[in-house]
Amino acid sequence: MDSTTRTPRASAVSRRWRLPGKLRRRLVAALALTIGLFMTGALYLVLAPRPQIATAEAATQADPAQIAHGEQLYNNACITCHGTNLQGVQGRGPSLIGAGEAAVYFQVSTGRMPLAREQAEGYRKAPVPELDPDTAEGRQNLQALAAYVQAHGGGPQLPAERGTALIGDDPAKGADAFRLNCASCHSFVGRGGALTRGKYAPILNHATPEQVYAAMLTGPSAMPTFSDRSLTPGEKKDIIAYLLSVRGQRNSPGGYNLGNIGPSAEGMTAFVLGMVALVGITVWLGAKS
Amino acid sequence: MSTEDPALGEREPQNMSREELARLADEFGDTTVVAKPPKWPIPATKAEKRAERSVALWFILSALSAIAFVVTFSVWPDAYVSPFQDGYLWYKLYTPVVGSTFAIAMLSLGIGLILYIHRFFPDEVAVQERHDGPSDELARKTVAAQYKEAGDDVGIPRRSLIMRTALGAAGLFGVAAGVLAIGPFVRQPWKGGDQAPLWITGWKPLSGETVYLRLKTSVVGEIVRVRPEDMKPGAMLTVFPFRESDRGHEELLVAAEHASDSPVMLIRLPPGTTVHKRPGQENFNYGDFYAFSKVCTHLGCPASLYDSQNHISLCPCHQSEFLITDSAKPVFGPATRALPQLPITVNEEGLFVARGDFIEPIGPAFWEIRARKQ
Repeated sequence: MDSTTRTPRASAVSRRWRLPGKLRRRLVAALALTIGLFMTGALYLVLAPRPQIATAEAATQADPAQIAHGEQLYNNACITCHGTNLQGVQGRGPSLIGAGEAAVYFQVSTGRMPLAREQAEGYRKAPVPELDPDTAEGRQNLQALAAYVQAHGGGPQLPAERGTALIGDDPAKGADAFRLNCASCHSFVGRGGALTRGKYAPILNHATPEQVYAAMLTGPSAMPTFSDRSLTPGEKKDIIAYLLSVRGQRNSPGGYNLGNIGPSAEGMTAFVLGMVALVGITVWLGAKS
Repeated sequence: MSTEDPALGEREPQNMSREELARLADEFGDTTVVAKPPKWPIPATKAEKRAERSVALWFILSALSAIAFVVTFSVWPDAYVSPFQDGYLWYKLYTPVVGSTFAIAMLSLGIGLILYIHRFFPDEVAVQERHDGPSDELARKTVAAQYKEAGDDVGIPRRSLIMRTALGAAGLFGVAAGVLAIGPFVRQPWKGGDQAPLWITGWKPLSGETVYLRLKTSVVGEIVRVRPEDMKPGAMLTVFPFRESDRGHEELLVAAEHASDSPVMLIRLPPGTTVHKRPGQENFNYGDFYAFSKVCTHLGCPASLYDSQNHISLCPCHQSEFLITDSAKPVFGPATRALPQLPITVNEEGLFVARGDFIEPIGPAFWEIRARKQ
């Protein structure tokens, strides 16, 4: 059987190869085009600059069980507003496709999500207990939820470092970058302020280094995003160092910063205290002993 | 007049006691001391000693604080130390210590003086005659005559040459002083015609040199030019003009950052955002990238409180809002002109460059703003 089929096929091939003219030229051209396209693709892969947009690479490496767990959490807590398959619900919540794990971390760990009620902008509150990053279980759940969102369309990811590793060495440099990029809304020492349409720039007193970093990466709510190419990771860490260096009563050489809300508080304090002191001294001056 | 005074009587002043002379001086001023009880009638009591010591104590405290101030001011470390470094506590205490030592020195001196007055000055009761109305006719006439005589003696009415030249000199000196005071305020804003500073900004290409969009970093003189891939959708960066000829010239780079007409907001809108462009500015953007002057058209504050969801840029000074997706048209607040748009593109190196200067003046309006020759 083999021998009987081989002969006609071989003869057909040899006949085709012998075919002169049109068909052969077309075949050769098609082959050349394929090789050319392939080479171009290969060259492009080698030469093209790496895109700075985070890809879903990490998500593909994530544990499927973790993603499934995350999906479960999502379906329990987020699906009402963000819809099935993270597609968003018109008029209620945006799509989370491509939002990335950093956005999930920021919104959930600061307690902004789940939202208490529909409003212009979420505000900071204690995170829900099962997603609290300060407990082992909450941390696991939060990671699973983040992995689930990351698995759908990728998005910005948190850096590998955590905690003190995110605090830079040079708060002065951070202050420079903060004044140029952040101070317009968050005020000079991160005390926040009012914005348009009921929105506001929050006070940064309680934000952890991870949350500040995640906010810069993802640009939550009205905030613009700052990719690692517009603010390098080093600059981001210095900004965090600066914020920590002006927190509480730090860096207030007068002894007390009066809430760092600017000249109104300072002027008022000086006026009230000064007036009382002046009146007291005047009364004492005129008093008969 | 004093020779006529009846109070003197026949007594000669050289024979009077100090107390009598003082009373006499009071009487010349029509003053009568009614009562002057001494503060400490019995000298050198324990209470008096205590009062004396308490006053001296304040002066000593003042002196010690003054010494402490001089010492701390000279030797206390005042170089900046960040809260994460050793020695931050010392740096933090510098201002309070220097301030409080100075304040205590001054305050104790004052308290000591007032306390001295309170404890040791007599509580004198005196009555002084009150003089009403003008002086009497004779006194006025005599004083007027005195002045006239003095004028005649120095000869001003007769020496008209001196008087005129003196008046001229004084007047012209006054004019000179006035010019000195007002001169700096007088400017010709239209020097340079079409190239007057009000019409052009730092983005104007000079002798055909490319103007790049540059980021300011915290390192002075560092040059970071912006590429489209540096920004994600929803990003906003402040950029400044940069020319290759500025490279290495720190003062030129700093001047470009500090020029009040330079700052530009470079915004990347999310893909698919509906944008209404102004006629004549359809090609000023590069894809989703839009560049607008950061200087508010109301009074020139930086209008860069950018809301990346509503695409509104807010000016913090008077709450003017500019809708970026409507060519930065003002939608709220006192501003009446849209933020001028900078025409941008990307060159063959993949870097953002300005295609020219703004086509309209940036910042607050002025009388001649519509009078520009195109």
